[in-house]
Amino acid sequence: MLKRTLYISNPYHLSIKNKQLVVSEKNGMPLKTAPVEDLGFIVLDHPQISFTMKLVEELNEVNVATVFCDSKHLPSSMLLPLDANHIQNEIFRAQISATEPLKKNLWKQTIEAKIKNQARLLSKLGKNSIPLKAVGRTVKSGDSDNREGFAARLYWMELLGRNFIRDRYGDPPNPFLNYGYILLRSAVARALAGSGLLATLGIHHRNRYNAFCLADDVMEPYRPYVDEIVFEMKKSWPDVFMLGKEHKAELLQLMTADVKIGETKRPLMIALSQTTASLAKCFNGEQRKIVYPEFD
Amino acid sequence: MKLEIMAQTRLNAYHIMWLFVFFDLPVTTKKERRQATRFRKDLLNDGFSMMQFSVYNRHCASKESAEVHMKRVKDFVPEKGQVSILTVTDKQYGNICNFWGKKSDPLPEGPKQLEMF
Repeated sequence: MLKRTLYISNPYHLSIKNKQLVVSEKNGMPLKTAPVEDLGFIVLDHPQISFTMKLVEELNEVNVATVFCDSKHLPSSMLLPLDANHIQNEIFRAQISATEPLKKNLWKQTIEAKIKNQARLLSKLGKNSIPLKAVGRTVKSGDSDNREGFAARLYWMELLGRNFIRDRYGDPPNPFLNYGYILLRSAVARALAGSGLLATLGIHHRNRYNAFCLADDVMEPYRPYVDEIVFEMKKSWPDVFMLGKEHKAELLQLMTADVKIGETKRPLMIALSQTTASLAKCFNGEQRKIVYPEFD
Repeated sequence: MKLEIMAQTRLNAYHIMWLFVFFDLPVTTKKERRQATRFRKDLLNDGFSMMQFSVYNRHCASKESAEVHMKRVKDFVPEKGQVSILTVTDKQYGNICNFWGKKSDPLPEGPKQLEMF
């Protein structure tokens, strides 16, 4: 089911009553209630928001992705339930003891799907996708010769022009991309937790300072969905550095973007659970293919 | 904007439904009163909100979700009294006329997929 997204940027107090989230002004009347089980994603973006512990418990119970923003209004942390899946222990163990060849194979599938989706976005926008498609066919096990990086260079050059440099602190539309990717990452982390996987242990990413390695792995083929939104946004706001509410609203539409897996289309938030569930099965040895979307 | 339209059709495709629960429950004995209160609480816990005394409604993002909540209400109806459940589409719900005294008021806005406040 399609879950609701809430974005709160005022100093409200959040509490729970009858399993419903209550948003109220400090010491004031309730403004809004929403059944917790209907929620999928909450972004808390104001230093003076307060909430009750009972609310946190209920949000965790139904695995709502709750994202906290820092003083620069960028998502900085999120709630992750410790027991989101009933056979978590079994899946954790399978994940930890995954063999090197399996991980390399999974990474190969991931990069192939990513490059294919990048190429599909380019052809959708009427750009040249032939070189990328060719690169996508030559990915080796574990992507040992970094086709990913090569493809990325071709991709960004074709998508946003020769002068564009993809950089965390770079010029617009980099801030849009960053924000979109952080949202995507938290949605992936939520889906991973829901499938009983450990978001920290990646199949390729292994930076010791990164707590979301597996989320970073799994989100790769989904990045073009962010890129498409940003590409459209760039037309309306060519050089925005500071993200306003309207920009964030656009980026939050990501959660309901149409994602095609096989023959069915579903909202991105739901498709992610399908991907992570299939990944858990790969670790368990039940199947060999991760289910990734086909961008269209 | 293009993206907004996309999200709209997605929601329409999912057939937004509204569930209405109407009930008349006996409240003559202490036990009956307790059961009636329990029923009201169960409705609230399932995400319903009170529209009038003994009329509760709930927004369901899809037909499937409406079926789930209908089943849950069926499971906790009290042993005595009369309870009716009605499903209407978002379109039908939009045609509701509300009166406060003689004054007619527009429908309060229903939940959207993305809300910012």
